[in-house]
Amino acid sequence: MIEQLLHLVEVAIWSSIAAVGFGILFNAPKKAISTIFALGFGAGFIKFLLIGLHLHIILASFLAALFVGIISMPMAHRIHKPPVVFSIPPIIPMIPGYYAYETVLSIMKFIFIETDPSKKIDLINAMFFNGFHMFFILISMTVGVSFPMLLLRKDSVKKITI
Amino acid sequence: MPFTKLDRAASLLLDMSALLMASGANTNRVNLTLNRFASVLNCKVSSLISHKTLVITVLEEDTNLSYTKVQNIPPYAVNFTVISALSIASWKAINNDWSIKQMEEEVNRIKGITRYPKLVVLAAVSLAGAGFCNLFGGDYLNMAVAFISTFLGLFVFQKVHEVKFNVYIRVFLGSLIASTIASLGVVYDLGANPQTALATSVLFLVPGVPLINSFTDLMDNNILNGMVRFTTGLMTVMAITLGLFIAMLIFSVKLI
Repeated sequence: MIEQLLHLVEVAIWSSIAAVGFGILFNAPKKAISTIFALGFGAGFIKFLLIGLHLHIILASFLAALFVGIISMPMAHRIHKPPVVFSIPPIIPMIPGYYAYETVLSIMKFIFIETDPSKKIDLINAMFFNGFHMFFILISMTVGVSFPMLLLRKDSVKKITI
Repeated sequence: MPFTKLDRAASLLLDMSALLMASGANTNRVNLTLNRFASVLNCKVSSLISHKTLVITVLEEDTNLSYTKVQNIPPYAVNFTVISALSIASWKAINNDWSIKQMEEEVNRIKGITRYPKLVVLAAVSLAGAGFCNLFGGDYLNMAVAFISTFLGLFVFQKVHEVKFNVYIRVFLGSLIASTIASLGVVYDLGANPQTALATSVLFLVPGVPLINSFTDLMDNNILNGMVRFTTGLMTVMAITLGLFIAMLIFSVKLI
């Protein structure tokens, strides 16, 4: 149990390091870096906790992105920065890179390498499985992070009271 | 307000919105900030915002004089410090009722905002690549491979940027270099899960900001801008895939 928790914390820390890395790439203000770290930690923790509880990765990504989208609004009030500044970097670590890689790999094998028709069927299966996972995770991430702002939009975050 | 004054106001508003667009703000935010600044200048503003060009008309309501001006948007480079500084400036301008001179000074100050030093960016993004690799189940050796390949990929990306190559060719080169180096990890079978390093080495190029902005623009019914952003995001993804694809083809013997 404790081992699992420690592993979860480690993964969450790496996800927040990735978030901060992208924050710096996007030239986020210095004051926002600590918030990006915290939100990245929270998002990674929630996502991997939910996956550990056997929730599907698409739904887990959606809920983690939703968490970032919701928390970034009171944060915007507190440190007087627009919410985009610290809502985008923390969700970048959730990009389904491995699914994308598997999709490209199976397409490549399908076109250039495999000649056996029965194995080609497996590759088509892999293409669709990984490709649609990637697609839906991307959609759930974007929707999750931008939904709170779109729902509560009153032309500025400063007019939203929580 | 005479025309020279209207011209000054229009130039200020155009400068500001061009900065915002180039820094990666969505269309709604640009319109919002335009209206905030215009309300301080006691005029109304209507705008046509496209990906490369801005057109605005400033209308002074008492005299019914209007002034239209067009400006091109500089090359895009995501910069959250600029977005945040302009947002803060718009609130200060409203609350303290700034004069046009104060606003011009502030916009000029924001134009001069520097980025993080290149070495810091390289280190931070490479660490992010290593972090990604951990998330996908790589061990520390894989993370080291991901770190090195991201570092070199981003280094090439920055260097090619200095000689002003086309952006998609830059992305392609960055992705090719990063994935070629990560493929070496697969060829020599380093670590527990060498494929994760290859999958994560190109993620620093992922167009996260255009794709998220595209979604919010589409939801705000700025369909044209949303489609343009989506297309640029898609072009970038295709350039990344091409680089990864070629690297994998070179080493295809080992990947089967």
